[in-house]
Amino acid sequence: MTGPSPAPTPTDPATGPGPYGIGIGWRPEIAGFVAGLPGLRFVEVVAETVSPAGPLPDGLAELRERGVTVVPHGVRLSLGGAEPVDPARVAHLAGVAAAVDAPLVSEHIAFVRAGGLEAGHLLPLPRSRDAVAAVVANVRRAQAELPVPLALEPIAALFDWPDDELDEADFLTEILDATGALLLLDVANVHANARNRGGDPLTLLDRLPLDRVAYVHVAGGAEQGGFYHDTHTDPVPAEVLDLVGELCARRRPPALLLERDGHYPPAAELRAELDALAAASGYPVVT
Amino acid sequence: MTVLAAPGDTWGIPGPVFLRWYLLAAAVLVVGTLVHRFRGLAGTPVDGTGPLGPQQVAYLNGGDQLAVWTALGGLRRAGVVGVTPDRRLTTAGSLPAGATPLDQAIFHTAARGVHSRELRRDEWVTRALEQLRDGLQQRGLALGPDRRAALRRGPMLIAALLAVGVIRAFVGLSHSRPAGFLLLSLVPLFIAFVLLSRVPWRTRAADRALRELRRRHTWLRPSAAPAYATYGPSDAAMGVALFGTATIWAMDPGFADQAEIQRQAISAGGGSGSSGSSCSSGSSCGGGSSCGGGGCGGGGGCGG
Amino acid sequence: MTRDSGAGRTAGADPAGAPSPAAPPAGRPPSSGAPPAVGGSGLAARQAALVAALVAGGPLPPGFAPEPVAAARRALLRKRAGDVARHWPLLAAGLGADWSATFAGWAAGRPTNGSLRDGWDLARELRDHGRLPALGAEELASREATTRYDGRTAPRPRRLPAVARAGGAVAVQLAGRVRLLRPARR
Repeated sequence: MTGPSPAPTPTDPATGPGPYGIGIGWRPEIAGFVAGLPGLRFVEVVAETVSPAGPLPDGLAELRERGVTVVPHGVRLSLGGAEPVDPARVAHLAGVAAAVDAPLVSEHIAFVRAGGLEAGHLLPLPRSRDAVAAVVANVRRAQAELPVPLALEPIAALFDWPDDELDEADFLTEILDATGALLLLDVANVHANARNRGGDPLTLLDRLPLDRVAYVHVAGGAEQGGFYHDTHTDPVPAEVLDLVGELCARRRPPALLLERDGHYPPAAELRAELDALAAASGYPVVT
Repeated sequence: MTVLAAPGDTWGIPGPVFLRWYLLAAAVLVVGTLVHRFRGLAGTPVDGTGPLGPQQVAYLNGGDQLAVWTALGGLRRAGVVGVTPDRRLTTAGSLPAGATPLDQAIFHTAARGVHSRELRRDEWVTRALEQLRDGLQQRGLALGPDRRAALRRGPMLIAALLAVGVIRAFVGLSHSRPAGFLLLSLVPLFIAFVLLSRVPWRTRAADRALRELRRRHTWLRPSAAPAYATYGPSDAAMGVALFGTATIWAMDPGFADQAEIQRQAISAGGGSGSSGSSCSSGSSCGGGSSCGGGGCGGGGGCGG
Repeated sequence: MTRDSGAGRTAGADPAGAPSPAAPPAGRPPSSGAPPAVGGSGLAARQAALVAALVAGGPLPPGFAPEPVAAARRALLRKRAGDVARHWPLLAAGLGADWSATFAGWAAGRPTNGSLRDGWDLARELRDHGRLPALGAEELASREATTRYDGRTAPRPRRLPAVARAGGAVAVQLAGRVRLLRPARR
């Protein structure tokens, strides 16, 4: 058994092919809006919505022609599942990476199905040695088949497992160290977890391996029933933007990406959110 | 080879001589008509004359009725048109800046509480549609009645030639003269007549412009579930213009249902997909409720 | 990238590891409250119990705080309702403000079979109870004219022409194009 993959470091932001600057999640619903962003250099596409064999979705192919970096973002691999990751799903992700000529792909530290049932969303793992072992095994299986580096995203969750042995920072660091994977840090998730499960988001930022951040997610959410829900269908709250500033003050990530998955607002509002991200991070505006 | 006239020849012209001249005339007429048609349908490329607005695109794509739906879709997206429970249109607020004459006409007609399918018959709307049509004719994209009549002249002459041939064959046959070759040559001539008498109402330049616009606006296909809230009224209108009323149904199903917006046939698989073609100019839904009774006329269809 | 022989290390011996979208066992969770066990298979059982509690009406696994898990269950239902509405826009529009509650009432405790099938099953159930709105009936009739769905396996496109009815709506499909012949009763 070989050791973990040699840790890839995020590519040099100014010259490398990796994600750079301010990006937005490409969705068919807003393809026309995304295509109209003149300064855009980076988008993400939900890997499960692209067929590696067929032609790329129209707007996405044009972005590739413009030289925009496209990062496939998997949501249904279930890397945190106790069962071995489905090779067909890994092959699909690898195929999409090849189809869009991606510099890296990303997935979540979560599970989405168990016992033959689909949860329909990303569910949190216990922060236990067992769970670390399960994730690490699955990540290594995936890495063995993927043509490009993998970045792992910690999720937002409303609840904890009863028997957590590790805190969030240790849990993530152990997984990243054991697999050599990059980190896809979701600032909105950091905010949501601190808000719902307690803890100080700044302390977490201080303890995470920020040098391994490939890019950052920023998304909107809403308070409902006493919880903060990471909906991706609401505006980005000021607290999340403040966290972006705090993160960039510690170590500016190579790229930041706005995720919006529904209830799309007028173009002016989306542009304002992208501009706010640019202002908070000091990257050039893309609008 | 010379063929001498014989006393039994129809009209005193020997069959082979007649056939030779007949075929020559037919060839000249068909080629002449083709050349005339090719030139007459060329039109003026859009590039030099500024981009087309949604209503212009709609008229070129689907005629008067689609232009009306397009204006209505844009006004609905702008939030200034609504519908009452008894299926009559209403208005709210005032027309947005940059409203076209057709927008104004539709807005004011809607304010009178008409049904959506009555919009096109309103006098003000009719005038606005004429204005739209005239502009497109001047830009060399749509063909006016006189231009279309001119393009029908060739087929008329072919029809006359066909008539001569038919009469000659009839007279010949009734005198037991052979007319097989003549009858045989009438078949392709008739086919040419049928094909050439169909005169399109837009030019090739307009065809090209529509193709290019569809290619550039694939993200407005209703099957992509476009975020109309993000795109705004003029993009929504362009969606209707290029992809038909399926756009209004995708954008605002409640309004489309209540206001009895025409439905299109949808292709299987796509939730609200629409092919490039859309409702033809003359079509509108009959019956009290949308697509009721005898179904839809013309190219527009019904679908979920 | 280093090849990893760790693939031999099975974290769970669950044969359902390769999920087949065509055959999810509809309904009942594995009979647990399974007590937390040690090791990978323990994790598998506990994950299964948690998913069952969230989507299949299973009992709350021991040790979890009930309120946050309940909030997560509701959030999952909201997300599912949005996904299904994207696949069944007219059904959702026909129910209007009642959509969320109607869907949540139907879907609670019922694991998803994918948005297309979930919406289909819901539309059929509403039809059987006479509660399908006109728009939904027209959408259902159009779908059934184009696609064969037996309620148990993935829907398949029809090759032959077909007529379908729902709530008074009649849709006919010919060569893959579907037209609504008659609208639903309103």
